[in-house]
Amino acid sequence: MMSENTISLIPASEFSIDDLVAIYNRTRVDYLIPMPMNAARLEEYIHTYDVDLVHSLVASQDGSTLGVAMLGLRPGRAWITRLGVIPDTRRRGTGQALMNGLLEEADKTGVSLSMLEVIKNNTPAHQLFVKLGFYEIGELLILRRSPTAQPPEPIIAEAQRLGRNEALDLVGRDRGAQPWTNQSESLFNAGDVSGLRLMLPDGSEGWLVYQRQKFTLTRFVYKTENGDPVKMALAFLSHLHAQYPRLDTHLENIQVNDPHLPAFYQMGYVESFRRIEMWRGDPPGNLKTLFRSIT
Amino acid sequence: MKKILIIEDIPDNAELARKMLLTGGYEVFHALDAESGLKMAQEIKPDLILLDLGLPDYDGQTLAGWLRANPETTHIPIVVCTAWPEETARAMADSYGCNGYIGKPLPKTTIFLSKLRSFLE
Repeated sequence: MMSENTISLIPASEFSIDDLVAIYNRTRVDYLIPMPMNAARLEEYIHTYDVDLVHSLVASQDGSTLGVAMLGLRPGRAWITRLGVIPDTRRRGTGQALMNGLLEEADKTGVSLSMLEVIKNNTPAHQLFVKLGFYEIGELLILRRSPTAQPPEPIIAEAQRLGRNEALDLVGRDRGAQPWTNQSESLFNAGDVSGLRLMLPDGSEGWLVYQRQKFTLTRFVYKTENGDPVKMALAFLSHLHAQYPRLDTHLENIQVNDPHLPAFYQMGYVESFRRIEMWRGDPPGNLKTLFRSIT
Repeated sequence: MKKILIIEDIPDNAELARKMLLTGGYEVFHALDAESGLKMAQEIKPDLILLDLGLPDYDGQTLAGWLRANPETTHIPIVVCTAWPEETARAMADSYGCNGYIGKPLPKTTIFLSKLRSFLE
């Protein structure tokens, strides 16, 4: 039986994007929710989520590739993502070797907090993360809304469209305690970000910032500044989907206790799957006060 | 001869479906990603699309949305073919205007073809 010690960990920066795509996709072929990528999608992912390929790792043994794991880095915190082991090379300790390697890489950069998400009911991965000192933070939803859903009538409100700069001003820089995909940096790195600010006749106020991709609306950040969150969310979603009736919507990592959620379901969103968010270590001082504040 | 378009990024999976469809007397086409799947659907006008949800460029739900929104393809039956848990796969198929769902691993040829025929009638 081969041991973890014989596994080599190579910086992912030594591989081309095409190679990394091929390795990653091979690790996912038998996943329940495989989420394959092409080169363009991986490059966008690396850019949006501050994935550092120098600190990311490819595992190999005797010249054969076993798996890959990537590390996102932001001030004071690291994110473990795209961890996968090629099916016919499993049960050799590759996952643990990759995780140990990434945690060492994270430590080298001086971060105090490592974050990750695991698909709910992926018991082997969850057990590995617990063994390595990760603890559960919360449960996250992946939501979809089909463009075949009935386009809503916009709820009567005073609506102001926001350009990128105005939208990002609302997002602010203090979302470091949110799931990595929804942190401020993810929005600042993303293209085609804009927003909506609404005031309802009863005085309720709120805003929604989103990314509009070629065929998809995604990366929502929203806040009810005054009034009922469900009512506010119904208003901003009705305006958004009336404006873009033919776009698919894909939202990642919405917290299960988000008070706006009932509005999403009323607007035709369906749950795709769930993830568990896990942390290891302590949030840096500036994030402790932001822990799990939902905007 | 009825035409079936398989949109599936894993060649082995596509090949398995293709072999079964050939025994059923269908003409079979294959696209590896969503962009080429959309293009082929517009060009070939298949009688049915077998759609994987996990595709490398845009996922299968997004593609189903395009196909339904496009007047040239809106009428084509789409059968989602995925290893997702059945309840979720069915919810996605319904939500995106697809006609049905077949789980992976694919069933035996006779069952597979019988299910497909029900969507072609």
